[in-house]
Amino acid sequence: MSEIKKHDTPMVDELKKGPWPSFVDDIYTYAEKHKKQACFDIMGLLELSYIHKETHWKHGGIVGVFGYGGGVIGRYCDQQEKFPAIWAFHTLRVHQTGAKWYHTSALRKLCDMWDHRGSGIVNFHGSTGDIILLGTVTEQLEPIFFDLTHQLNWDLGGSGSNMRTPACCMGYSLCEWCLYDVQEMDYELSMAFQDELHRPAFPYKFKLKFSGCPLDCVAAVARADLSFIGIWRDNIRIDQEAVRAYVNGELPPNSGAFSDRDWGPFDIKKEVIDFCPTQCMYWDEKEQKLYINDQECNKCMHCIAVMPEALKPGTDTGVCILIGSKSVILEGAQLSTVLVPFIKTEPPYDEIKELVYKIWDHWMEVGKMRERVGELIQRIGLNRYLIDVLGIEPIPQHILMPRVDPYIFWREEEVPGGWTRDIVEFRKRHPA
Amino acid sequence: MTKEELKDKVYKAIEEKIKKGGKSKLNIKDIQRELPDINPRELKNLCNELVREGRLEYFSSGSTVMYGIPGMGIGVETAFKREEEE
Amino acid sequence: MGLEKLKELDPIYQKPYDPTLAEKLYNPERPMENRITDIGPPYFWQFMPPIVQKNFGKWKSHVIIQPGVIKRVSETGDTIYVVRCGTPRLETTDYIREICEIADKYCDGYVRWTTRNNVEFVVDSEEKLRGLLEDLKNRKHPNGSYKFPIGGTGAGVSNIVHTQGWIHCHTPAIDASGIVKALMDELFEYFGSHKLPAKTKLALACCLNMCGAVHCSDIAIVGIHRKPPFVEDERLEHVCEIPLAIASCPLGAIRPATVEIDGKKKKTVRVNVERCMFCGNCYTMCPAMPLADGEGDCITIVVGGKVSNRITPPAFSRVVLSGIPNEPPRWPTTVKWVKHILEVYSKYAKKYERIGTWIKRIGWERFFELADIPFTEKTIDDYRLAYVSYRTTTQFKFTKHVKTKLEEYYIKK
Repeated sequence: MSEIKKHDTPMVDELKKGPWPSFVDDIYTYAEKHKKQACFDIMGLLELSYIHKETHWKHGGIVGVFGYGGGVIGRYCDQQEKFPAIWAFHTLRVHQTGAKWYHTSALRKLCDMWDHRGSGIVNFHGSTGDIILLGTVTEQLEPIFFDLTHQLNWDLGGSGSNMRTPACCMGYSLCEWCLYDVQEMDYELSMAFQDELHRPAFPYKFKLKFSGCPLDCVAAVARADLSFIGIWRDNIRIDQEAVRAYVNGELPPNSGAFSDRDWGPFDIKKEVIDFCPTQCMYWDEKEQKLYINDQECNKCMHCIAVMPEALKPGTDTGVCILIGSKSVILEGAQLSTVLVPFIKTEPPYDEIKELVYKIWDHWMEVGKMRERVGELIQRIGLNRYLIDVLGIEPIPQHILMPRVDPYIFWREEEVPGGWTRDIVEFRKRHPA
Repeated sequence: MTKEELKDKVYKAIEEKIKKGGKSKLNIKDIQRELPDINPRELKNLCNELVREGRLEYFSSGSTVMYGIPGMGIGVETAFKREEEE
Repeated sequence: MGLEKLKELDPIYQKPYDPTLAEKLYNPERPMENRITDIGPPYFWQFMPPIVQKNFGKWKSHVIIQPGVIKRVSETGDTIYVVRCGTPRLETTDYIREICEIADKYCDGYVRWTTRNNVEFVVDSEEKLRGLLEDLKNRKHPNGSYKFPIGGTGAGVSNIVHTQGWIHCHTPAIDASGIVKALMDELFEYFGSHKLPAKTKLALACCLNMCGAVHCSDIAIVGIHRKPPFVEDERLEHVCEIPLAIASCPLGAIRPATVEIDGKKKKTVRVNVERCMFCGNCYTMCPAMPLADGEGDCITIVVGGKVSNRITPPAFSRVVLSGIPNEPPRWPTTVKWVKHILEVYSKYAKKYERIGTWIKRIGWERFFELADIPFTEKTIDDYRLAYVSYRTTTQFKFTKHVKTKLEEYYIKK
């Protein structure tokens, strides 16, 4: 190996200071230890960006390994002379596991592979959820894929106009509020849609995210074309004794989430009852008893989060399916809108897979380039989408409020007598 | 039509479109417009199989993926190599 | 297609990595030979510690015994302690190996990450917990930063979800990892404590394409380009396919053109600058249309979004400050504003109120006054659905913005 060339990076070095973990210290330590020119070069390039306040990367046409139309992002640097080791510096997206659990034997082997074939720089994790391997040359892409599939039993994630890598919250593995098996559904659907994950199929990206409860820790409602959020329909389970323990200050409210500030003694009226968005709760001071009118509850979970030892979601649990969220590009940001308020579902989730294909088939047919499903629904109208595309009966849960304008596009078959009229008969009643 | 014949039809449509259209990479909607009789899901499967056979190749537009014919137009890396050679 | 859904750790991970295998298997002449495809990720079950497998779906309750440490109790009677640590997200394999070393020592080799780039170590006894916490506190980088700061729970600031920035992206207006580092240094005490009125989620996107879904965050930073792309007439036809460049524009603002340079006709494009939203998609397809501009690019701060359904429904973040200078290496103006907004919120909000819920209660006019943020036309929406953001009621508050004479409302020349 030729001699290692280091660069002066006084501005970047400023980020070695301070208490938060310094990626600069980390990358330099790694670079020195492994004698990696790419790591010195990327710090040098970052310094140049700090001076110019401009990026030095260009996009490349590469999308994947042979036969895959996703999983690799092509990057080239515009400073080939100065930083030859990172002239080509492609990213690979490696499909993370459900709830991002790993065993160190797998992680170490992945690290050994990446030291050998790439820069040694990673992201745990990318925004969508994948493990990101940051920086390698074109010649290494196929060997990396062969290493992943043959030595790690591991596959790439999605990019481009593929289905993107699905993601879920911690689910049943750690959380008592999880209302369906997010990890299993994530895995099942990831496996069912491997073709769509690895090969382009759509006018644009398509994302699936799975949150176990309405607190939505994985932000499914904000960033998934199909959002799956756990919900229950029966009564909140109440342990009145534990409620009294909160009221008497024997248990920390909200699991101790407010421990470093004196908010005064716990006040169930102020902190729970008054915050209830549906005002469906009542604390009987005399009886020392909490009442919940569960029929009126909209499952916001505030009371449960404040008094987790006392209140638990019901046991008749299922999934709410919402559709169409996306960030601002292009028609503005959208949150997902309710498609199916509640279903009970079990692996292998065949009815959900069928629904997904229905959504895809229509989108592939009528979607414009770069039009997300949420924008398509806006374009044709939610009512048409529900009825004509999916054949779903409209219900009030689909909307926040009814329309303002009465400009309803009545269809001929809906109007008594149809649209064909006899002008002669009309003129008998109304002489011209 | 057999699957092979269908694939040939798709390939020919793409080849013709590229030759006359001025752009060497097509997105899936471009290809759909040329072949309205083929169901979109089937069409994407045919295109992807043509890629596996090496007759087509993918090309990244950043946020979406396009289809091209190897050797025609900008290659997946040639744009960058060409620049330096100039 | 698909491997067996392994319930036990795949023995393949016990075999050492063979750096020579791929070259033996991959034949560029016959690329499909030996190719394995569509196997997906490893099945998650094998990677969960036995105690988590045993209590899967049986957790009963949790309590945060100190910031960053969650005690979880199962209906089976088992108890675990989850220790949450911030990571920079951008890291090296040696950093991952150090995580592995810790997980091997205290957690039988199991570890997980959260959606917000925190790493979580799970131990099954208080004794292991004490050892782990002590160990984590003492692990520092050469210049003194903590490798694994403990926190990210409860009413504090969690780790910042962010994008690639100048480290790896071709269209960013700003860096990502550097700003996150500078900001988290300044907000460090809030990461490791529970003194805010509610959980506060921060995010950063280095351009308006927003790979990190920042549009529903309590406070988020967005990098903004403000100049249309260059068009290098001389070079363009040699490095770009013009129809592809035209098709790349989401607003149809690019059209073909021909120019004459030194008597030679050259094919190129023209950008309708009034329609340009500075997204950089054309640069993606055409390297002769660079967009970045160190002088023009700036930072915007949005606030008040959330995704949780708790108390109020999910909501978008709203633009409160724009045109903040892009200041590597430590972005003092941006850091100052974010910290300031956080502290004003902390001072005035009620317990349980997220930033957006607090602002909804007090009104945006009060927010601008309390936070002392200059109100400008840039915060008035003029894109899609702008109307729903206009005030159509006399219900407003008499902040300093309200005057008494008509002439006082006119812009001073």
